[in-house]
Amino acid sequence: MNRSYRWALYVVLLAVVLVMLSPIVWLVSTSLKSPAEMASFPPTWWPAHPRLANYSEAVSKVNFVGAAQNSLAIALISTTLTTLSSAWVGFGFARLTAPGKKQLFVILLATMMLPGIVTLVPTYLIFAKLHMVNTYWPWVAWGLGGSAFLIFLFRQFFAGIPRELEEAAIIDGCGYIRIFWRIFLPQSWPVIAASVILSFTHAWGDFVGPAMFLSQDSTTLAVAMASGYVNSQGLPLNNLVAAGAVLYVLPVLLLFLFMQRRFVSGFTTSGIK
Amino acid sequence: MTSTPTDVRRSPAPTLVTSRERRKKKPPSLKRARTFYLFVAPWVLGFVGLTVFPLGYAFWLSLTDSDGLSPRTHFVGFDNYLEVFRDPLTLSSLGRTGLFALITVPLSILAGLLLAVMLNQPIRGRGLLRGLIYLPAVVPPVGAALTFRLIFDRDAGAANGILSGLGSNPITWLVDPNVRYVLYALVLWGCGGSMIISLAGLQDIPKELQEAALVDGASYWQSFTRITVPLLSPVILFQVITGIIGSLQSFAPLLLSSGTLSGAGTVPQGNYLYMIHVFAQYFSAARFGYASAMLWLLFGVILLVTLVILKVSARTVFYTVEPEGRR
Repeated sequence: MNRSYRWALYVVLLAVVLVMLSPIVWLVSTSLKSPAEMASFPPTWWPAHPRLANYSEAVSKVNFVGAAQNSLAIALISTTLTTLSSAWVGFGFARLTAPGKKQLFVILLATMMLPGIVTLVPTYLIFAKLHMVNTYWPWVAWGLGGSAFLIFLFRQFFAGIPRELEEAAIIDGCGYIRIFWRIFLPQSWPVIAASVILSFTHAWGDFVGPAMFLSQDSTTLAVAMASGYVNSQGLPLNNLVAAGAVLYVLPVLLLFLFMQRRFVSGFTTSGIK
Repeated sequence: MTSTPTDVRRSPAPTLVTSRERRKKKPPSLKRARTFYLFVAPWVLGFVGLTVFPLGYAFWLSLTDSDGLSPRTHFVGFDNYLEVFRDPLTLSSLGRTGLFALITVPLSILAGLLLAVMLNQPIRGRGLLRGLIYLPAVVPPVGAALTFRLIFDRDAGAANGILSGLGSNPITWLVDPNVRYVLYALVLWGCGGSMIISLAGLQDIPKELQEAALVDGASYWQSFTRITVPLLSPVILFQVITGIIGSLQSFAPLLLSSGTLSGAGTVPQGNYLYMIHVFAQYFSAARFGYASAMLWLLFGVILLVTLVILKVSARTVFYTVEPEGRR
C-alpha cells in the first residue's frame, strides 16, 4: 500500500467516524442547553453555560427511577433465563440424540428467519386472556423459551468439546444434567458472556414489548423516554428529552465498551487452558 | 459410495446386524432419547406456545370480526382478507414498506461492505475505528430515534443550523414529504452492524487468493469484483434476507414521531409503513380481526420474498463450503 493511498484511506475513515459520532455529540450538546438556547435560531452548537439542571429535571419529570427499575428487572429476567435456557437446549442438540432431532434442528434454524413482530400482537391477546398483561410473566415465558440464535451459538460451542470428557463423567456415575451443570456450562463462559450482552442489550432497547404488555405507570425507560417529556400543552421538552436519552443510552454504551475488553480477555484465558 | 441406499436395504446381512445392535443398545439409547427431549423441551414448548399457537390464534381471529372487547364475535370467512384490497391504506403502506426496503437494504449493505473493505486494510488504529463506526448500531432504537428527532427539529436542530449557515432556508424535516429522508438517515446510521458481518466474512477469505490475482496482473478492482465479492456472496445473501425481513416489520417511524402505540395513526404519510397501519388498526381502531389478517398477509409476503430470493440467488451465490457442511 503506497503512502498517498494510506492517507486517503485515513481521511475517508476519519470523515466517516465524524459523521457517525456527530449525532451523539448533538444529543449531549442539546441535553446541556437552557430553554432560551433551545428557542434561538440558528441553534447554538455548544451551550455557553452548560445547564446540568436538565439532568435532575429529566429524572424528576418522569418516573425515571421507577422506569429504570422496571427496565433493569426485565433485562435481568430476560438475560438470566434466556442464557440458561439457551445453554440447556443447546447442550441437548450438541450432545444427545433421539428420533426427530434433525427435524427439530431444522425448525430451530428456520425460526431465526421468522418475523418476530408478527407473533407479538396475537401473543398479547393470549396473555391478556391469561391475565399476564402488566406483569413480568411474559418475559419469564420468553426467557424460558430461549432464543434460536443463542441456542445455535451454544450448540456450536458444546459440539466442539471432546467426547472423552463426557464419557469419563458417565463412568463416574454422572447423569447428563450433572454433566451439563458441572462440566459443560462452567467451560462455556465466553458464549455466556456473548449471550448476556446480546440479551441484555435487546431487552433494554425493546420498545414494542413493554409498550404493549405494561401499563404507562409500570413501564420501562424505553417507553418513558419516547413519550414522557412533554409540557402542559403536549409539546416535547427537547432539552429534557436529550438529557433523559443520554441517561438511557449510557448503560448500553458502557456495556459495549466493557464488553470489548471482556471478550478479548475471555479468549486469552480459554487459550491458556 | 458404490451401493445406493436401496441396495443396503435389500441385502439381509446388515439388517440383521443393526437390529441385533438395536436390541442390545435399546435400554441406554431410550434413556438417552428421553434425556434429549428433556433438554430440548423448553424450546419446543416455547416454540409451540409462543409462535405456533399465536400464529394459529391470529389466523382464527382473522376469520372473525373480533374487536377484542365484546364477547360475541362473528365468523366472517375471508372477508378481512378481501378488505385488504378495499382499504387503500393497507396496499399503499405495503408498497411504501417495499420501497423503504428496496432503498435502505442495498444502501446499508453497500455502505457496510465499503467500510469493511477499508477497515480490513492493515492500518494503525483500525480496532478503534471499527469500534467507533460500529457504536451507533448499539444505541437502542428509542435513543437513536430521539436523537434524530433532535437533529432534524425545525428550529433547534443541527440539520437546519447547517443549512442556515450555508444561507438556505430551514426545512421542515419531520413532516411530509421530507420525513422519509430522516427515516433513511436513521437506518443508514446503523450500517455498522452490516459492516461487522461483512468484516467477519472478509476475514474468512484466504489472502493468497487476492495476492495471486494481483501477481497475475489483475487490478484492485478486478480482484475485488472477481474474487472478494463472489466469495462474500453468502454473507451478502444473509444480509439481504435478514435486512428485508427486518424492514418489512419496521416500526421505527412510530419512534420518530409519536412514540406511543395508540398514536400510530398520527405518523406522517411518508413514513406510514405497514406495521404502523397494523398497530393503528389494533390499538386505535380495535379491529382485531382485520389487523390479524394483515399480520398473516405480512407473514405470507415475508415467506414468499424469502423463498424467491433463495431461488433467484441459487445460481449467483458461490459457496466454497456447501451449506450442509460437505466440501
